[in-house]
Amino acid sequence: MFLVHLWNYIRGYVIIIVTGRSLERFINICSKRQILLWDIVRKDAESASMKASIRGFKLMRPAAKKSGCRVHIKKKCGLPFCLYRFKKKKGFKVGLLLFASLLILSTSIIWDIEIICGKPELIPQVLNVLEVESIGRGSFKRGLDPKNIASRIALEVEGLAWVGVEIKGVKLSVTVKDSIEPPVLIKNNESFNIVAERDGLITNMEVYAGNALVKEGDTVRKGQVLVSGKLQSKNPDFGTRDVHALGKVIAKTWYESSLPVSMVYTQRLKTQKSHDTVYLRFLDRKLKIGGEPPFEIYETQTVDKFLSPFGIKLPIGLTVETSFEIMERQVDLTMDEAISVALETAKKDLEARMPEDCVVIDEIVKQVTSESGTVYIQIVVECEEDIAGLVPVLE
Amino acid sequence: MKRGIHKIKGAKKAKKEPGESLGEKLARLFEIPADAYGNRPKVTAIGRGEVLIENFKGIMDFQNGMIRINTNNGVIKVTGDGLNIREITSEEIIIGGKISNIDYDA
Repeated sequence: MFLVHLWNYIRGYVIIIVTGRSLERFINICSKRQILLWDIVRKDAESASMKASIRGFKLMRPAAKKSGCRVHIKKKCGLPFCLYRFKKKKGFKVGLLLFASLLILSTSIIWDIEIICGKPELIPQVLNVLEVESIGRGSFKRGLDPKNIASRIALEVEGLAWVGVEIKGVKLSVTVKDSIEPPVLIKNNESFNIVAERDGLITNMEVYAGNALVKEGDTVRKGQVLVSGKLQSKNPDFGTRDVHALGKVIAKTWYESSLPVSMVYTQRLKTQKSHDTVYLRFLDRKLKIGGEPPFEIYETQTVDKFLSPFGIKLPIGLTVETSFEIMERQVDLTMDEAISVALETAKKDLEARMPEDCVVIDEIVKQVTSESGTVYIQIVVECEEDIAGLVPVLE
Repeated sequence: MKRGIHKIKGAKKAKKEPGESLGEKLARLFEIPADAYGNRPKVTAIGRGEVLIENFKGIMDFQNGMIRINTNNGVIKVTGDGLNIREITSEEIIIGGKISNIDYDA
C-alpha cells in the first residue's frame, strides 16, 4: 500500500469534490473511460470527495458534462505540483545547480591518502614522492594514472618489492611491500684492514681473517690498525697476500664528562596564563585565526581537532595551539641537590655520545674543586664494546 | 406500464439464471477455474473492512451506509457503516468501511 501511495505522490494527484444529483453515473462514466478514482467518500446527499490522477482529471470534463456534476479541486498533491512551485523560484534552480556542481567537484578530487606499509619508516619517503609529483589531498582524480604513480614510487623509494596504487572513490590507496635487504657480500679478493674506532684497552680478540698486529691487553689509539689485511708469509720469499680482514675486537673504553656544579638552578614554571592560537584546517592548508601569544617565554602544545560526524574523519578541522606562559625562576640549591642536578645533566650528555652496542661495566663519579673555587663533577663510564672498524687498504 | 415492463424483465431474468451458457459449461468440463472464464462477478471479502468485486457493470447507488453494484448476475448490495470506494476501475471495485451485509438480488 505504501508503494501505491508513493507512486501516486510521484505522479501527482488531485483531491476533488464532485457535486451533483447523479454521482453514481459520474463514477460509472469515469471508470468506463479508464479514469482511475480512489478514496471516494460520500460527503452528503449531493457531493462526494475523491482522488484522481492529473491525467484522469483532465479527461473528466465530458463525464461531468454527461452526468451533470460539477467538479472542484480541493487540493493538489504530489511531486509535479511541488516541482512546479519550485520551477518559478530562481534561487532554487541556482541552488540545485550549485549543489550538483559541488557534488561532482567534491567526488572528483582526492580527499584522503592511505599508505599501507610494513615498515613505518618508508611512509615519509612514499609521501615525499607523492609530493614531488604534486599529488596530495585536494588534487584532481582526473589525470592521475595509478600505474604511473606506482612505477614512480618504485623507482624513487629504495627497498621496495612491490607497489600498488589504487583510487578507491575519493581515497588514494598506496600499498607498499618492502623487500628484505640482501646480505652484505664480503669479497675475499679485496683488501681490508681492521682499525680501532676509538681508544681503548683490548680485552678480547677474535680474528677470523688477517694478520693480528695487537694482542689482548694492549692499549690502542683511535685509527690504529688492529688487524692487517696483508697476510705475511712466514717465508719472506713468498711475499704477502691481500685478504679481507675479519674479526671482533672487544675493548674497554672510557667516556668522560665533567660539569661545573652550579648552586643556582633555573626553574621553569608554568603560570596560570595560557593563550590559544586557532587555525582553521582544510585539507593540508591552514588558516590562522587569532594572534600570537603575548608571552616572552612559552611552551606550545598543538592539538588537532577533527570534524568527524558518524565516525568519518572529515578533512576539515581546527588546530589549536595552546601556549603556556613560562616563568623562569632562579632557585638556590643545597650542595647535594646541586650535585644531583649536575650529575643528571652529565649523564644525559654521556648517553648521547655513547654508541648503542656498548655495555656499561663501571661508573665513577668524582667531585673536583678547582683553584678558583668552583666545584666540578666528573663522571667516567667504563664500557666494553667492539671497536673493530673496516677500512679498505689503499694501494 | 412501468410495472409491467419491470415484471417482464424480471421474468426473463428468472428464466435465464438457472441455465449456464455453453461457454461456461465447457469451462466446467475442462476444469477451468470459474473466474477465468465468463463475466460472472467475483466477490472477495477480506476481513470485515474490505470487499473486492471484479467483473461488475457499474455502481447503482452510493451512500454512506449502502452501495449497490450492478453485475451480470444481478445487483449486489453491500451495507455497512462509513462505506467508501477505495478504488474503482472498469474491472474492479474495492469497497472499504465496516461491512455488515453483502446481499444478492437486492
